[in-house]
Amino acid sequence: MNILITSASKRLARHLAAELDAEHDVRLTDREDAPGAQSFTLCDLNHDEATNELVRGIDVVVHFGELDSSLSVSGQLDDAMRCTYNLLWAASEEKIPRLIYLNSLSVMGRHDESYAVTERWKPAPTTETSDLGYHLGEFVCREFARENKIDVISLRLGELVWDHGEASSSALYPEDAVQAVQKALIAEVSDGYAGSSSNWNVFHIQSAVPNARFLTAAAEQGLGYQPSPR
Amino acid sequence: MSTPQGNKSMNVLILGANGQLGPHVIKALENDGHTLWLTDINDPPDTPHEYFKLDAGDLDGVIAAAEGMDTIINLSVLRPHRQIAFDVNARGTYNAMAAAVHHGIKRVINTGPHFTIAGPTYENNDHLIGPDVPTQSGTLLYAITKSLGQEVCRIFTENHDIHVLTLLFYNFWFPDDHSADGHDVTPFSVTWQDSAEAFRPALSIDLEELPSKCETFFIFADMPHQKFTNEKAKRILGWQPTNTLAHRWTKM
Repeated sequence: MNILITSASKRLARHLAAELDAEHDVRLTDREDAPGAQSFTLCDLNHDEATNELVRGIDVVVHFGELDSSLSVSGQLDDAMRCTYNLLWAASEEKIPRLIYLNSLSVMGRHDESYAVTERWKPAPTTETSDLGYHLGEFVCREFARENKIDVISLRLGELVWDHGEASSSALYPEDAVQAVQKALIAEVSDGYAGSSSNWNVFHIQSAVPNARFLTAAAEQGLGYQPSPR
Repeated sequence: MSTPQGNKSMNVLILGANGQLGPHVIKALENDGHTLWLTDINDPPDTPHEYFKLDAGDLDGVIAAAEGMDTIINLSVLRPHRQIAFDVNARGTYNAMAAAVHHGIKRVINTGPHFTIAGPTYENNDHLIGPDVPTQSGTLLYAITKSLGQEVCRIFTENHDIHVLTLLFYNFWFPDDHSADGHDVTPFSVTWQDSAEAFRPALSIDLEELPSKCETFFIFADMPHQKFTNEKAKRILGWQPTNTLAHRWTKM
């Protein structure tokens, strides 16, 4: 597969690229230069030919909802909404079959921790820019999927644990994140409820840590995701 | 500062006051005893009210303009340009909400087109579409940017002590415009005057009387199509359109 990963400067993007590279042709992109990134293309994700050129020939785009906190609030929201829209617009025009949106389980964070929160629950983000950005990016993705312009899988990821750091109740180890993306690249998930079909699918992804906050049964059933025992 | 409830006088900041709808809204509100503070990116109109040039996409500028206000009315809109549509319709609404929270303003009146909520996936298929359906804007630039702004409003009301009343419109007409009589009309049409009248109860209604902190109202004339319904605006706001635009949807 030809895979494009956005936000090349982020650690998970580099990690994903390295892990997927053995089986796929992986390219990275970012709005800022990302020294050391493999097969890298600098792109502002504007509404122009450069964005179309970026996605042309790609089979799956992996798009990060995580924002660059060094930008102003306005800059971050612009990334979350306009740049995501431009990317999806170009991907639709170039007839890219699928986009995987890397969201965060933080958009479900205001639900009580005692609740069995699944993908059926309404997102409950705060107005913190990072939370809001994740949610608004997903909002844009959903409308493109609703209009059947592209197949979108939104993976709401837990808190990444790098370098043996402390694991929260929604912890996600990098190997499980990679596995979820690998599964989402090829998953057949268009069958909807009661004989319907859908181009829009959301899955909660975290590791099987003790007292795991979020249920991952839908991802296990729909994607074949199997979090490693912890 | 006065409490923004009942018929008390308020300081009202209007963003996008010099667009198409703004002058009609100002005319409807200026005799109710409110102090209107007008802003727009365009040059000032001939007005007795305080006016200053402001880009709704300027977060710091909107926060500064909102100081001392009781209510913000967001009329700002930009349709065709990709960058500016996001700057104004989506981020501009965020800026209004952030400014309201910053200054403890309890009431924001937001505006937009009907497909902020009810896009083509509703309109192509259904009738009696009301303003409380789940949002399906579709990907049309104007619709989705306004819809993102409305989503921001909803999330702010879930997280802060603030109410948002959203008035949604589509086609506006002057009562004496007979250019297309008898050819039917978009079943979400209203006169400029009737549309502006909806802002008066939106400003004066006791916030505690609203069913929730985020309420949306469809503002259009009483028409027989039954494609959409304006019942909620009449029931909760007490708004009553005076012109049915019958000359447009009856045969000549």
